[in-house]
Amino acid sequence: MDILIIGLNHKSAEICDRETVSKKLLTVELRHDFANKLLDLKNEDGRSLIKEVAILTTCNRSEFIMGLSSWAQGKGGHIIKNYIAKYFFSETEKENIFYMRLNEDAVRHLFSVASSLDSMIIGEPQILGQLKEAYNEACEFKTSGQFLNKLFHRAFNCAKSVRTETKIASSPVSVSYAAVELSRKIFNGLDEKKVLLLGAGEMGKLTVKHFIKYGVRNIYIANRTKKNALKFIEESFGTAEKDCLNVIDFSEYYKFLPQSDIVLCSTGSEDYVLKYADIIPVIKIRKQKPLFLIDISMPRNIDPEINKISNVYLFDIDDIGKMIEDNIEIRRQEAAAANELVESSVKEFMNWKESLNAVPVIISLRNKVKDILEIELYKYIGDKKEKDLIINSLTNKILHEPTMLIKRASANPEGVSSIETIKALFNLESTDLSDTDKDIENENPGKYIKLIK
Amino acid sequence: MLKELYLVPAAVYIFSYALLLFKEKKTYKAFISIIYTGFVLQTLIFFIFLIIKGLTLPVHIDRFVFFNAWILMFIVVLFSLFYKVEYILLYITPLVAINLLVGFFVPHIHLRPVILNVDKAILFTHILLILIGDSLFALAFIVSLIYIFQERKIKNKKNLKLFDKKDVQISTALHQGGGYNLELLDNINYQCLKIGFPFITVGIIMGIYLSGTLFKTFIIIKPIEIISLITWLIYAVLLHERMAKGMRGKRAAIFSVAGFLLILFSLSFSFYLFPAFHGLK
Repeated sequence: MDILIIGLNHKSAEICDRETVSKKLLTVELRHDFANKLLDLKNEDGRSLIKEVAILTTCNRSEFIMGLSSWAQGKGGHIIKNYIAKYFFSETEKENIFYMRLNEDAVRHLFSVASSLDSMIIGEPQILGQLKEAYNEACEFKTSGQFLNKLFHRAFNCAKSVRTETKIASSPVSVSYAAVELSRKIFNGLDEKKVLLLGAGEMGKLTVKHFIKYGVRNIYIANRTKKNALKFIEESFGTAEKDCLNVIDFSEYYKFLPQSDIVLCSTGSEDYVLKYADIIPVIKIRKQKPLFLIDISMPRNIDPEINKISNVYLFDIDDIGKMIEDNIEIRRQEAAAANELVESSVKEFMNWKESLNAVPVIISLRNKVKDILEIELYKYIGDKKEKDLIINSLTNKILHEPTMLIKRASANPEGVSSIETIKALFNLESTDLSDTDKDIENENPGKYIKLIK
Repeated sequence: MLKELYLVPAAVYIFSYALLLFKEKKTYKAFISIIYTGFVLQTLIFFIFLIIKGLTLPVHIDRFVFFNAWILMFIVVLFSLFYKVEYILLYITPLVAINLLVGFFVPHIHLRPVILNVDKAILFTHILLILIGDSLFALAFIVSLIYIFQERKIKNKKNLKLFDKKDVQISTALHQGGGYNLELLDNINYQCLKIGFPFITVGIIMGIYLSGTLFKTFIIIKPIEIISLITWLIYAVLLHERMAKGMRGKRAAIFSVAGFLLILFSLSFSFYLFPAFHGLK
């Protein structure tokens, strides 16, 4: 099975384009619907191109991680890319903002994403959680299979080793940190400042934690569902932090705007939550005291025009990212070591993937040996109970070395001749391998995967 | 003459800037220490004059310029210590150094106020108040310029480095805490205005009184009075807007810059173009 990743991120697409894609994948239902559409996508011969799919959407990227059918090779990838581009954009040239990664490149890309090496802020911790969420969703939708399961789990392991074995996450460079640093450029000390958080998301949580760390003692949280906000506080903050947090009704957040110095917006709303006309009276009531707005939501929740108002400073996710870019250098140095870890994980995964090609050969070989043993043993011990046990034990013992050889050979492009030799030696050519292949792909892949472990 | 003494603090200030070229944390710290040393030297010279001449009017141009430089530096040092914003020294010290050099190079001309018969105490107070007020407004001017540039950076999100190594070094060395922050800059600007305005108001009133005494009439309006009143009005409007309507930020900074430019204009106007109107022969 081939792995294909098609997506767009902060490097390939402008914020407005990412916003367009993000809007169409905003809810679980929308993502489920699109995942099904992808699975239904067929080539000219009417065969399904995609067997498994998972959708990752974050504020900086939208990616479709797919396991392809064996007949999707060649033009298949482009058909899918074209379909995705047309689904989100009417303009044909927008296809260029999507990147496409296949097999090893795709694995490398996913592992880098999971390890936060491809993030706008290298080493930021949110992406792993978001990737896990994407995987869980795919499991819930039943759009992921054994292949993507393995891929995702390897990606999580890789991310874990990158975080523990390198210092990539140790230096504080993140959106939340940047938000705090920016407020320190506007305000003289944060102790007396009031923060209003709209929406209760992961990024919001981290930023609020940072603000508390830097002395903010008054934080109001407004979420559309008050219950979720209370749950969010309960689950995400310690006792001391909880003392600084107050939950307010979302319908009343505008009453808190004039007294808030910093407004952090991370709702899942499709439209602007804060509009230009909302802020004009607020700044008058505040007697021109500076107001700092941080929009970390995608699509954006704060009207960019607001930045034109005097004494109002608005930063969205892209603005923060651009500023941090210069300082990523420190983490880039760590990223070199992290890339080595990613590379070894990629190699490991690709070996596993390649070894899957050996499964049909191993199975036919085992079947062949088992058949011979069965016939011969029947002659001497008849249909005794122990017969199956002896057959399995002998098969394993006889075929241990050849199986290892086949696995090694399948992982190595030059090993094709060894496999051919084995096939010739045991006359496996005549065996119909397609049934085994079908079995692996559709029915019970786990049974065969155990064989190659 | 003792004019050569001016060169000592001036040389110290200029030398301190050479240290900044190294861009090291240690040298930034040394820079600040040297600036303070310069100020101590300036103060010593001031007291030497005081001991030699006693508490008299600065009747020579060079002394007047030196006195101006000392008051400016004194105010800036006070603010930098009180608000822990030693970075303002970076911007004000060149002005002080230029003042000292001007003091050295200008001829030792005796200012002969034609109002010698007028109460010297009033004249002395007028000069002192105006110099303190103007120094505070000079500080407000510099702080406003920093504010305008910094605000522009934040608003346009350009050249805004969050974790600039150099900035971090300056920050740690100059005890800036959060670095240049708009709220603090605006606050300093406001304080300068609040303290400076009464000084300048009383100073101008005394000036008008002196001018009236000089020209034997209060009815004739002299150009210096018009310019002074315009300047005063700008600061009065600014203070009113700030206190009553809460004007702050960029607009307040622009007002401060405009006000100080007018002060510079009125000073040049009165001293160089129409010295007679300022009671000078």
